Amino acid sequence: MGRVITTKYCHRVVLALLLQAMCLVLSQTAHGHMLNMTRLNVAVDSKNNIVFTVNIDLGGSLMTSEDYWALSQAANNSDGLRSGKMSEEVRLLVEPALKKLDTQVLLLADDVVVPRQLVSWEFPATSLEAIRNSLSPQMATLVYRASPAAVSQVSVKLAPSLAIPWPCLLRVDSAMRRLPISRLLTDGDRVSTPVNLLASEAATTDLLAQGMHMLQTIMPGLSWVAVGFTHIVPKGLDHIAFVLGLFFLATGLKPLLLQVTGFTIAHSLTLGLSMYGLVNVPASIVEPLIALSIVYIAIDNLFATRLAPWRLTVVCLFGLLHGLGFAAMLMEVRLPEAQFLSSLFLFNLGVELGQVSVLLGAFLVVGWCRQRSWYKRFVAAPATVAIGGAGAFWLLKRTVM
Amino acid sequence: MNKALMTTLGMLGVMLILFGVENAVSVVTKKLDFAVEGRAAGGFPDEWIHGAKSAMDDTDPAVQVHAYNEHTFILRENKAINYEGAFMYLLFGNDKALLIDQGSTSSPALFPLREVVDGIVNDWEQAHGQKVQLIVANSHLHGDHYAAWNQFVDRPNTLMVGLTHEEVMDYWGFNSYPEQRINYDLGGRQFIVTGTPGHQSSEIAFYDTWTDLLYTGDMFYRGRLYLEDWEAWKGSIKRLSQLASEYPISHLINNHIEMTNEPGIDYPIATSWQPNEPPMQMTVKMLEVAAKAADEVNAPGIYKYDDFLLYNEIPWAYTTDP
Repeated sequence: MGRVITTKYCHRVVLALLLQAMCLVLSQTAHGHMLNMTRLNVAVDSKNNIVFTVNIDLGGSLMTSEDYWALSQAANNSDGLRSGKMSEEVRLLVEPALKKLDTQVLLLADDVVVPRQLVSWEFPATSLEAIRNSLSPQMATLVYRASPAAVSQVSVKLAPSLAIPWPCLLRVDSAMRRLPISRLLTDGDRVSTPVNLLASEAATTDLLAQGMHMLQTIMPGLSWVAVGFTHIVPKGLDHIAFVLGLFFLATGLKPLLLQVTGFTIAHSLTLGLSMYGLVNVPASIVEPLIALSIVYIAIDNLFATRLAPWRLTVVCLFGLLHGLGFAAMLMEVRLPEAQFLSSLFLFNLGVELGQVSVLLGAFLVVGWCRQRSWYKRFVAAPATVAIGGAGAFWLLKRTVM
Repeated sequence: MNKALMTTLGMLGVMLILFGVENAVSVVTKKLDFAVEGRAAGGFPDEWIHGAKSAMDDTDPAVQVHAYNEHTFILRENKAINYEGAFMYLLFGNDKALLIDQGSTSSPALFPLREVVDGIVNDWEQAHGQKVQLIVANSHLHGDHYAAWNQFVDRPNTLMVGLTHEEVMDYWGFNSYPEQRINYDLGGRQFIVTGTPGHQSSEIAFYDTWTDLLYTGDMFYRGRLYLEDWEAWKGSIKRLSQLASEYPISHLINNHIEMTNEPGIDYPIATSWQPNEPPMQMTVKMLEVAAKAADEVNAPGIYKYDDFLLYNEIPWAYTTDP
């Protein structure tokens, strides 16, 4: 290793030399981390009102540094955005730059240029030296409003003559979209592809996803329920096998509920203790023991003639083990410190819902024949052997392999 | 045949079936094994291509491509094209290829990143007989790391994560940035992604469980660490230190080289010719020095350390250059 692959891509000769010569010169005046790049934000509300915000290094592009310094001093707006009537002195200084922006930075709604009105502005600068240095950009902010009759998509077009610090990031927020959309404009790509204000996902009929999103907006912690659920279905195959092991022994609902409840309380206990750092058992010990617990449950199912009195105790002990397994998984996800308890509770709730769904699934498939005479011999026993075999398979993989 | 024997045989049969199914799946799908256990080997070049004295001297490719191993590629933008000389990463799994960052130059004529990436992806797909979706992502949202982003927007089988904080958080699945750790799967190759703001408020770090590489982006590298939010950076460094104490780390990898080989001395800003660069990769020990510094520094200013400089909440115009 340590090979440098260079020859394969080294096929530009004369053109590259010329271009790179030009670049080498340009790079001396390039912008460190490109802090003074231009930012354009378009926000459209549900009534088609558009707020168009331009964040630009005016003193390093459309004005001279000296003019921008004079503008900044005249505007005297160190306290933030100004609105209302612009003073005559400020207007005279900024007007040439505003004209360039009006004619060279075009906002389009459904491919038609939208007239806009400047409503607020800010021209901050700490010093003339800072304006001159692109490493300490003094970014002006100009906020425009527009109200087209209708708009379904927006785009931005920059004139070929416009010279601003590149690249130029366009952000579009729409009241109909969950997320903003980004586009990048560069010296070579001066017209953005249109941004559809109606979310493509919102247009779909995926009501479930939309419903989940709405719920998450109301209660962000709900996503921890989903994390907990998916730790059982489909990711927790070994936990599914254990729960099914409980299902196939108990023919009555009461002993099954007792065992599942005991298992739940036990794994909640160790999950909580682990997450608070009070218990810490390495995965190299916990994981093989979980596999062993599945084998044990399977063998006990097959050879016990009746539900032994200690079975509930054993299941609870195994529950403690499985809780340690959940904790190891949850540690990787890391709960937010501010909502630790509620997130832990919701994760656990998700785990329980996952277990209940496994049991419901089992009932749906074989529940109808649980009281039949042949159930144990032809359904429960083969299924339990399969569960035991899977447990032994995991045990072997987690220890020897 | 008694019950015990039948049970034993039955369980053995199930085990054999499961082993068989597992092997058959891996043969049929030709899945590569990116096992977490152990460490995938890899290497760095003795020295990186480091710019040119003058334009006429520059005969180097616009993008240097280095194969750390057959599934991990490190790319560097020619410093003669842009002095940032930013590193980019292309990491392959069975289902996806992750491109982290897109350099500091937009023009495909000057900086044909898409062409280079397509070449690597095509070669990889042919060599391994499988197709991958390209994920175009960013370590953080500064223009010197996504200038060539547009080159990928029309690429087939490609997902653009986006260049706003909200899009980034949504793609990685953060609901408690920056503390959260996200398990990210490229298709058998597992990553842990966590938030590392401080240099920029959307920055993320990656830990690759296959190579044990910890990617720290612009928040920790051999250079001037420009910190816009000291408290956020302090928290990020502590989180990375915690991660490094929990997982084995082979190297720390990142985005720039700005320090010289002389301890505490950086190249002048905008240097496009950097002979005798130190290695890009860093060590856990250096991270420990940064974590200690995070406890020691309590005021804005420039703080010099052997392998990095802290520019703590001061205007970026200030420099240690003579």
